[in-house]
Amino acid sequence: MSTSTHEEAAVSSSGFEVPPAVHRAAQVLAGVGLGILVAGLAIARERALTSLLTSGFYFLCLGLGGAVFLALMYVANAGWFTVFKRIPEAFAAYVPWGAVTILALLPFVSTLYPWAKPGVMETDHLLHEKAAFLNVPFFAVRMVVMLALWVGFTWMLRRISLRQDVERSPELAGRNVTVSAVFLVLFALTFCLAAFDWLMTLEPHWFSTIYALYNFAGLLSSTVCAITVAAILLHRAGALPQLNTSHLHDLGKLMFGFATLWAYLWFSQFLLIWYANIPEETVYFVTRLHGTWAVAFYVNVALNWALPFVLLLPRPAKRNPSHLLRVAAILLVGRWLDLYLMVVPGSQPDGVALGVFELAGFVGMAALFTLAVTRTVRSTPMVPVGDPYLVESLHHHT
Amino acid sequence: MSAPVLIGYFDSEAQVLNATRAVREAGFVLHDVYTPYAVHGLDDAMGLKPSRLTWVCFGAGLLGCTLALSLQYYTSVVSWPLNVGGKPFNSFPAFIPVAFELTVLFAALSTVAAFLARARLFPGSRRSVLPRVTDDRFAIAVAPREAPSELDAAEDLMRRHGAVATDLLEEVAS
Repeated sequence: MSTSTHEEAAVSSSGFEVPPAVHRAAQVLAGVGLGILVAGLAIARERALTSLLTSGFYFLCLGLGGAVFLALMYVANAGWFTVFKRIPEAFAAYVPWGAVTILALLPFVSTLYPWAKPGVMETDHLLHEKAAFLNVPFFAVRMVVMLALWVGFTWMLRRISLRQDVERSPELAGRNVTVSAVFLVLFALTFCLAAFDWLMTLEPHWFSTIYALYNFAGLLSSTVCAITVAAILLHRAGALPQLNTSHLHDLGKLMFGFATLWAYLWFSQFLLIWYANIPEETVYFVTRLHGTWAVAFYVNVALNWALPFVLLLPRPAKRNPSHLLRVAAILLVGRWLDLYLMVVPGSQPDGVALGVFELAGFVGMAALFTLAVTRTVRSTPMVPVGDPYLVESLHHHT
Repeated sequence: MSAPVLIGYFDSEAQVLNATRAVREAGFVLHDVYTPYAVHGLDDAMGLKPSRLTWVCFGAGLLGCTLALSLQYYTSVVSWPLNVGGKPFNSFPAFIPVAFELTVLFAALSTVAAFLARARLFPGSRRSVLPRVTDDRFAIAVAPREAPSELDAAEDLMRRHGAVATDLLEEVAS
């Protein structure tokens, strides 16, 4: 790929016209999926709610992951990713939408969370002791504060980047670093709280201190996969001609690395609980190693680590777009299964039940996410011409 | 008896990349290219095959993993079984951390060792260093096939691609 075409493309950059068929399909699927979920609230309330939580959190994490990816790169003064940085930015633009899907859970807290069920505080001593933290008003306040922080910071990160396009001032690159550093610290704290609040308290007797970190590894792994998929698809559609094999190679390395980080943390959680063998901790894994849940338990490790590890090990594998798409698909399905395994077994210990509600939740949210991302991709120039790292990124070579 | 080697010195990265490609395309045997730092794109220009070090890394990792698992199995199941917290003697999850560490250790150390051995960087290996290639010069070493005319042609080619100096060495360790 020659240098001159790079620079010409960079100068004449504008928003990418997403095919209207894609947009319409996403609108229809979002409507149908979310419609089934709303109907589910009347027919099978718990199934619909766990589906809303699993898929809502899944895509909110992709949005947040976009912002975290940007912030990590800014703080590290990285330049290689600049060519495709509009993709994580478009993901970050989903955060307000994702926040709404999570807020939709608020009226149903007493159905979803055992600690919020009426009368439970009087009969359950452990929960009674935790009541100062686990009560609906405080839960709602925490949720609103966290979501507001995330919406605010993702908005700031995008705004600075878009201002760079116009003002081309190097000072804005410094502003990116400052905002990112503050965001990363606040995000680490709030994301821990979110994972504990929204997922771990589904089984309020059980606790694991590494739970949030393990979730964070899943967030990074799935975000890098989604960025890779979006980058390859946009490149194939002609919107991102500057993307080269070296960018893909580095994304492939990150996929490989974060899948392994996930396995490391997943196993750390399992090993300590298995070793200590304390009933109030092992109960989590006893449920998940019982009946059909056991199948999902092992498939989860295969999808999130074993398969991607083997498939991404050779160097050529990380440089082949079609291969990366396949592995990313495996990891993205794996991330959903991982969240499903965190959310559902507590309220449904009998076994896996995958049906129309789970599918509707995932497809509906995926369509919503696609709408948010394509809307942003359409309205913003694809190449960040004002970013001082752009030239470094165009010439990226591994 | 080793053939004489022609060295061409260059001032910049861009020149050495172009000259390397030209030398190879003209059909001369490229002996090696010496640069003060890793130059991106030089592998392509030199037409290097993919490194075989990855296979050393993979094999050593596999060996480390196997050794770790078999040692733990032997000590805790065969040789000296101990009851730890009522767990089975063959407790696979407990073996994983050691297996992980030894996989990484074997893979990393063996790869570095294999690289040093292949590059003949070990105590007692005497290597001559071309002047200034660890500082600000880039050097291409060409091994012409035979005839003196070949030498002249190669020298001329490198001069045309910006060589600031050329030199003929009778012998260079490979």
